[in-house]
Amino acid sequence: MSADVRDILDIDRANTPEITRDSFLATKKRNFERTKHASRRPEGMHREVFALLYTDKKDAPPLLPTDTALGIGAGYKQNKARLGMKKVRKWEWAPFSNPARNDAAVFHHWKRITDDSTDYPFAKFNKQLEIPSYTMTEYNAHLRNNIQNWSKVQTDHLFDLARRFDLRFIVMADRWNRQQHGIKTVEELKERYYEVISLLSKSKNQNQNQSSEKKTFVYDAEHERRRKEQLEKLFKRTIQQVEEEQMLINEMKKIEARKKERERKTQDLQKLISQADQQNEHAASTPSTRKYEKKLHKKKVHHQPRPSKVDSVVNAIEIGSSGIKFADLRGSGVSLRSQKMKLPANIGQRKVKALEQAIQEFKVDPGPPPTEDICTSFNELRSDMVLLCELRTALSTCIYEMESLKHQYEAACPGKTLNIPPSLVPIKSETLDNNAI
Amino acid sequence: MTDFGGDSGGRLKGVTIVKPIVYGNKARSFGKKREEDGHTHQWQVYLKPYYDEDMSIYVKKVHFKLHESYANPNRIVIKPPYEVTETGWGEFEVVIKIYFNDPSERPVTCYHILKLFQSPVVDGELTSSTTMDTKKGLVSEAYEEIVFQEPTQIMQHYLLLSEQSANGLLNHDTDFEEKKCKTLDNIVNVKQKVKGEIVTLKDKLKLARETIVKFKAELAKVQKPPA
Repeated sequence: MSADVRDILDIDRANTPEITRDSFLATKKRNFERTKHASRRPEGMHREVFALLYTDKKDAPPLLPTDTALGIGAGYKQNKARLGMKKVRKWEWAPFSNPARNDAAVFHHWKRITDDSTDYPFAKFNKQLEIPSYTMTEYNAHLRNNIQNWSKVQTDHLFDLARRFDLRFIVMADRWNRQQHGIKTVEELKERYYEVISLLSKSKNQNQNQSSEKKTFVYDAEHERRRKEQLEKLFKRTIQQVEEEQMLINEMKKIEARKKERERKTQDLQKLISQADQQNEHAASTPSTRKYEKKLHKKKVHHQPRPSKVDSVVNAIEIGSSGIKFADLRGSGVSLRSQKMKLPANIGQRKVKALEQAIQEFKVDPGPPPTEDICTSFNELRSDMVLLCELRTALSTCIYEMESLKHQYEAACPGKTLNIPPSLVPIKSETLDNNAI
Repeated sequence: MTDFGGDSGGRLKGVTIVKPIVYGNKARSFGKKREEDGHTHQWQVYLKPYYDEDMSIYVKKVHFKLHESYANPNRIVIKPPYEVTETGWGEFEVVIKIYFNDPSERPVTCYHILKLFQSPVVDGELTSSTTMDTKKGLVSEAYEEIVFQEPTQIMQHYLLLSEQSANGLLNHDTDFEEKKCKTLDNIVNVKQKVKGEIVTLKDKLKLARETIVKFKAELAKVQKPPA
């Protein structure tokens, strides 16, 4: 059942293998086992709730109520309708009058002969609205408030229309006698109507002093006018305006996203700074020397081998500033020895890569068992390896430069050449290979 | 428990105590895929002392964090043996966090990639910490040392107590003593080689630079006259 529903709703379901006689028998047996397994419910979940979710297979509960052959709701399962054996009741074309009409018009319709009720049954739906009326004195007493806009004749005309069209103000505005009474909008009509209603009910309440106060509507014409004006504006936008608005919205979203990103970054930075501060405290070294060391380190990073600046590389190597400075895990607290072997974070990706290659080249365990001795010598080894890699790159750069000088020389005076020292030649191919990797 | 006051008796300057440990996992294949959940292996991830001692004297608890697809992936073991046995079909990183009995000592974290399958033997990898044993199944374990630098007095007390409970070397599936020796020898050897190569490279570099200077001078000589 639920598999069919899944098919209809295009929800993925697991492929069920085709059913053969054997597999059917087998699954029956397995289902029994599975019930046992699936009945392991998560901690804290009530058994009843779990039973609702997973009964036998991990199958979702049915989405629609089903009608089974059992039970009371067996309706759809019966395939023969039970027809009555009574006599047929006759129909007749009969005249009728609608009591809701006052013109005594007579119409005809089909009705059963047996139904004798003469009243037209739909007459009761003709509801009449109760439109209040006012006398001349009432008008003079209360309704002369807005005489420049609404004269007595106009107000009378309004109430007449209200009665005729059951307060359908759109129709009333349409039927408004413009020649006699000037142009009035729907809002103006409504405004006047509800104003009159409220004034009348107030005065009546004052007179009779009754507690059965009838509630009146307050019509905010100004609000309504603005609303319609806005709708009109919205509707009359040109395509360009719509596009511009969309563009502006997108821009705003971008700005907000950027702002969030910036905030996130500053937060991260703050975290880093506070972490660094903690570490400083941990290492119990004065911040000034730490900073100085950091600066030194940064400078060294700048001295990383750049093919075009052989000299700076060579200088760095000769000073001995090359290699890796491993973090010194002194200070108090617990740590894992293997932390000592971690490469410091300020080492560039390229250096790390070169180091990995060198470790592979020399067949060294990249993660040796971290005893103190092994840590120390492993770190020294890797520092040396970095130096080695830098030397190799520097040498290959030098050789490249020699080659190009040689070519320049050969071009400048044909027939003559410069001799590269033989000890440097065979390494060339090897180092280039290393670089190519 | 001995009382050392609120600051755990303060830190002991200049004292360092090292506790070697071994962590890793064993795994055994079912030989087939289990029908109901597709699991193929039973495995056990563990943390144990290198020497046969009672770690619970200084370890409060060990937190094994399994892959999130496991029901209740945060397994906390209060007392030895610190191990979690489970079944599964895939390898993932187990985070092992060790908490100490003195709360002022911060916990330390090891990361272990749970191994179920023997990785292909890489050329020259004398280190591969996984061993295959038909009897025991697959074992992948690592040696580690917890370094207590300037421990608090109470922590030192626990550590010494634990040491007193020590009873020789625990029997490990991996011979770490041999591995330590071999690794150190290898590193020392390679270091020698690298140092040698550095010396020759330095010489070559020197020669190369001198040659460049020479070449430049030659080139200048040839290029100047026509002007």
